[in-house]
Amino acid sequence: MARGLAHLSDEALVALVARADEDALAELYDRFGRVAYGLALRIVRDPALAEDAVQEGFLAVWRSSARFVAERAKASTWILTLIHRRAVDLVRREQPRRAEPLEEVPPPSGDDTEEEAWLRLRRTRVQEALKKLPDKQREALELAYYGGFTQSELADRLGEPLGTIKSRMFAGLASLRELLAEEDYEEERWKEPRSTS
Amino acid sequence: MERAEIHELSAAYALDALEGDELEAFEEHLARCAECRENVATFQRVAAELAYDVDAPTPPPALRDRILDQAAAERPKVVQLPRRRWAFPVAATAAVAAGIAALALAFWAADLSQQVDELQADQHRANEALIALTDPSASLFALEGANGVLVVDEESGEGKLVISGLESAPAEKTYEAWVIEGETATAAGLFTGGDDQTVVPLNVPVPEGAIVAVTVEQAGGVEQPTQTPFITSEEAT
Repeated sequence: MARGLAHLSDEALVALVARADEDALAELYDRFGRVAYGLALRIVRDPALAEDAVQEGFLAVWRSSARFVAERAKASTWILTLIHRRAVDLVRREQPRRAEPLEEVPPPSGDDTEEEAWLRLRRTRVQEALKKLPDKQREALELAYYGGFTQSELADRLGEPLGTIKSRMFAGLASLRELLAEEDYEEERWKEPRSTS
Repeated sequence: MERAEIHELSAAYALDALEGDELEAFEEHLARCAECRENVATFQRVAAELAYDVDAPTPPPALRDRILDQAAAERPKVVQLPRRRWAFPVAATAAVAAGIAALALAFWAADLSQQVDELQADQHRANEALIALTDPSASLFALEGANGVLVVDEESGEGKLVISGLESAPAEKTYEAWVIEGETATAAGLFTGGDDQTVVPLNVPVPEGAIVAVTVEQAGGVEQPTQTPFITSEEAT
């Protein structure tokens, strides 16, 4: 704990993790553990399974961090991709009731207001963007990403040709990219006068 | 036709919605298709944003301990850098890392629709810097006078300076790197800075006990330093 790692970027932490630095792994967990757990829980709908997914995901980070360098990605993207993959693997193996509402989610504890606020901001941002998508695209993205359905399962479930599902996911992600990028741009402009003052 | 279809799968892949044969076929395709790798990287970035649309309850504290214990138990698999060397360099590394992070953010904001080619030069430098920092056979030494580190390969003694946010050398001037052993300075390369990340491969090895220093010299470089170094490294061990 003595080492202050808080000022390091996510990417630098991954670089340290690649050198088997446990403190750096702990710091990454402290940054992404919560969102990782929330994501896993939404996918697997079972706290114990969600913990398994998070544990396997972070251990994948630990084991494969040396390979991260070669990839063109943000560390946060890479970590959440690993968590997502583990959660989806688990949910496919366990086959519980997928894509049904989660019965009870413990309310977020209010003791870490800065993190709360940050997570809320990120969440609102994605929700706003999702709302602007055509319903069918949003449905396909949500069932695939949060429901863990494969494209073939989606085609069955929605009674649509596989080709339609593929295009829908492609179009959905492409529009979402535009929507999120647009917003970044707006934020950037909005921030500028403040940072120079 | 088939080609167009397989390109489309980059979205499904980024959503982890492929399985079995389809997954294998696409991964094989991915190894050969730069365009799809590009799309997958972009789509994964977008998909990761979806991760934030969740209730994020605090995970049980025991989970953190389990992960760290398990990681520690697996540790012998990975090369461990002697801890003591990090005591000081971490502060310097942070600056390099901050530069890398700034670059990463720039990519994200400058955004995804921009031609990748334009970004590649920057990306390449950031990657080089990261690779230098993560090479398990390398030792890192702090720099004074600049944000950055000296990276030395333990076996070959090959060295690199990785410096963040170094301004361009003045007109008609150059930066010159030196490997200094005792009283002897050996010219180790010229560079001009001015990039977010400057990676300077040194053209002479860095032996144990030597330091690396940088001076500002006349363009074209000189054989012996004429100025006081403005950047100096820790002693290499």
